[in-house]
Amino acid sequence: MDELLAVLGYNVRSSDMVDVAQKLEQLEMVMGNAQEDGISHLSSGTVHYNPSDLSGWVQSMLTELNPPSSAFASSSQQTPIDDPLLAPSESSTITTLDFSGSRQQSEHQSRIYNDNSDYDLSAIPGVAVYRRPDQQGDGEKSSKRMKTASSSSSSSTQQVQENGLASVAESTRPVVVVDSQETGVRLVHTLMACADAVQQDNMKLADALVKHIGLLAASQAGAMRKVATYFAEALARRIYRIYPQDSLESSYSDILQMHFYEACPYLKFAHFTANQAILEAFAGANRVHVIDFGLKQGMQWPALMQALALRPGGPPSFRLTGIGPPQPDNTDALQQVGWKLAQLAETIGVEFEFRGFVANSLADLEPSMLQIRPPEVEAVAVNSVLELHRLLARPGAIEKVLSSIKAMKPKIVTVVEQEASHNGPVFLDRFTEALHYYSNLFDSLEGCGVSPPSSQDLMMSEIYLGRQICNVVACEGAERVERHETLSQWRSRMGSAGFDPVHLGSNAFKQASMLLALFAGGDGYRVEENNGCLMLGWHTRPLIATSAWQLNSNFNPTSTSASTSAHSQ
Amino acid sequence: MAGSNEVNLSESKRVVPLNTWILISNFKLAYNLLRRPDGTFNRHLAEFLDRKVPANANPVEGVFSFDVIIDRSTSLLSRIYRPATGEEALPSIMELEKPVTGDIVPVILFFHGGSFAHSSANSAIYDTLCRRLVGICKAVVVSVNYRRAPENPYPCAYDDGWAALKWVNSRPWLKSEEDSKVHIYMVGDSSGGNIVHNVALKAVESGIEVLGNILLNPMFGGQERTESEKRLDGKYFVTIQDRDWYWRAFLPEGEDRDHAACNPFGPNGKSLVGMKFPKSLVVVAGLDLVQDWQLAYVEGLKKAGQEVRHLYLDKATIGFYLLPNNDHFYTVMDEISNFVSSNC
Repeated sequence: MDELLAVLGYNVRSSDMVDVAQKLEQLEMVMGNAQEDGISHLSSGTVHYNPSDLSGWVQSMLTELNPPSSAFASSSQQTPIDDPLLAPSESSTITTLDFSGSRQQSEHQSRIYNDNSDYDLSAIPGVAVYRRPDQQGDGEKSSKRMKTASSSSSSSTQQVQENGLASVAESTRPVVVVDSQETGVRLVHTLMACADAVQQDNMKLADALVKHIGLLAASQAGAMRKVATYFAEALARRIYRIYPQDSLESSYSDILQMHFYEACPYLKFAHFTANQAILEAFAGANRVHVIDFGLKQGMQWPALMQALALRPGGPPSFRLTGIGPPQPDNTDALQQVGWKLAQLAETIGVEFEFRGFVANSLADLEPSMLQIRPPEVEAVAVNSVLELHRLLARPGAIEKVLSSIKAMKPKIVTVVEQEASHNGPVFLDRFTEALHYYSNLFDSLEGCGVSPPSSQDLMMSEIYLGRQICNVVACEGAERVERHETLSQWRSRMGSAGFDPVHLGSNAFKQASMLLALFAGGDGYRVEENNGCLMLGWHTRPLIATSAWQLNSNFNPTSTSASTSAHSQ
Repeated sequence: MAGSNEVNLSESKRVVPLNTWILISNFKLAYNLLRRPDGTFNRHLAEFLDRKVPANANPVEGVFSFDVIIDRSTSLLSRIYRPATGEEALPSIMELEKPVTGDIVPVILFFHGGSFAHSSANSAIYDTLCRRLVGICKAVVVSVNYRRAPENPYPCAYDDGWAALKWVNSRPWLKSEEDSKVHIYMVGDSSGGNIVHNVALKAVESGIEVLGNILLNPMFGGQERTESEKRLDGKYFVTIQDRDWYWRAFLPEGEDRDHAACNPFGPNGKSLVGMKFPKSLVVVAGLDLVQDWQLAYVEGLKKAGQEVRHLYLDKATIGFYLLPNNDHFYTVMDEISNFVSSNC
């Protein structure tokens, strides 16, 4: 790698430098000669991927402008997708997805389903633009991978992290100070001092401090007060050893999550970006199968189903396997969700099949139970939104699950996780990280603006997050399931387990950004591209990250075209 | 145009190291995609392509950073860079706004470049530059994430700069021990340099003391086509056409390039005679087509009796300060260091 460029976020092998320069020159030449249309097409019609891979980026544009054969030309001549109309937001539990209007049938159908929805989820134009997964990062040895992984966490010069995943995460601590008020500072100070006392096992001091926090918090306003209160409560539980029972029904936690879904864009972003990747992976397949590692209320799927329904050439048959925890009252929550989705499928004309699987832990799943059909028959997507980190609480669990995923021979694996380092070995560090993380998260909930969340959504969201805080701070061992790790760490783990990245592109980025513009405090929410993954954050602090994966080429199921297969190094 | 392209490309390639050439050509290419002929800007693609880095409260090479929201109503954010004192391995939250220690601690208010439309305080190129400034000047650096054109044209960037200056000036933890005052310098490149000048004007009017202005390849212009613009048009990454686009995007509707914001010593400029304007260091790259305007700026300051040091770098192109791989880079860093410490 050219070291100097790497510091600035560009990964170019030293041996490729001359070639990249040549390509840049060529591009300049071609763009100079191309008409207006050609260039504006590159800007609005083309999907760009992973700008850090300069060589790849430049090459893909050259290919766009000089298609190797006319066969590609038609598929890459997509009508530019300019900013679609942004209508005022309706309730967004079911959002309609339009393809761009280049095909007549979909245009006709889209009028039926277009409920003035806020954004379009467009399929990528065609094979010509679908990037091969990043060749440079993942093929290299794992120690090298950690080094290049640091370019994604991007502090300027990373000390080389030789030992283990934990050290990769520790290296960057993104902090956005949301409250510089005098009282806010004292509050934080006291929280930290208390956590430190707990760390030192000085429970008398910790006890005194925790009481003081309560007083200070009362005089605070807004997000800081709420955050402080939750952290204080969690500390108190830890000090007095009154651990929260995980007796709350999963249906209650599902409800909390639904309010969180409504109150702010994080989960919508998660669903949206994961669906985009799944949709692209499913292109050309006639039978598709999504395995959802955490079905909950199934909020992710209506949008995907509608997008599939609108596919030119008609929808594939859609199978959904939903996994969920056992219900204390033995109601079949999964089936209920499946039934609702089936009803939707019927109205939009998608052949639909549903199976629910109850499991205490994803590690209990055996792929054979899921009756997955071979890749030639059905394209499989494995989807995990905020589920994988829980597996880190038990040794061996994550490895087992990743192994199971591989056995499912998925075309794509979508992973969404909190972008945080809440699983380090030292309590005080975890506490500090969590304090920053949840401060930012709560701050974003406060956001002023066009359509603030309803007070009920807000309150339930706070409880939802409060429970996470409690778990991170008060629990240990197998009970501590909120073991969030950063994208860098997940990248390493997925890479080691035999997965290659599938990049999310500028189309998903743009549409996610536009989605955000509709939210209260829209200004503060930011989408960021990170080596092919997308992150959503509050101001400059990323809070949630979506990544997509496929099996390393040795395992790759037969795909629709050569260019989608991974290249092993 | 087609034939001369080749000459242009190899000319610029001869004067900068290969990685610099690639970096700046890459920006040029990306920026060409982002500017639309109708004056609108492809902001989504711009944000997608921009390489950003998070703040990092863990010190890296002796510097740690964190972001602060200065003004919620405009989402005005700044990134603060501080030297790690070395006492604690990892500064905790309290350390972030701990009072600076030292008789005199320079605080640099930094405005990134990007022709008013591109880049952010958290762009990798500027995060890197700001980190360097901390070490070079033994300073705290505050990098302002000002609002950009065309969505937020004149005077938004100046307003944000002014808000940031007031904020910095009023931070108790930034006061030097010697006189309990904040020792402020302003540094900016390209449009950032322009902002430095304009915020300094405001500062003088309002009585906030700024100890010095440093302008790196500052962005100025005017209606006239100067000799350097004509001579260097398209030769070293920059064209007159793109400069025009950015001025149209930034300046108020209907205004031309002789607007005071663009041409401070032009027909609509304000006289600085008799003003207690900060001393200035103006760095001009010899291969920057805008140099005649930058030289006019220097002359304008001199004529108004203001203290100005002019550094002309013969064979430098735009962006030479982004990579530490050329002599100009080191020359300028030394100059900046001397300029900031010369008040001690």
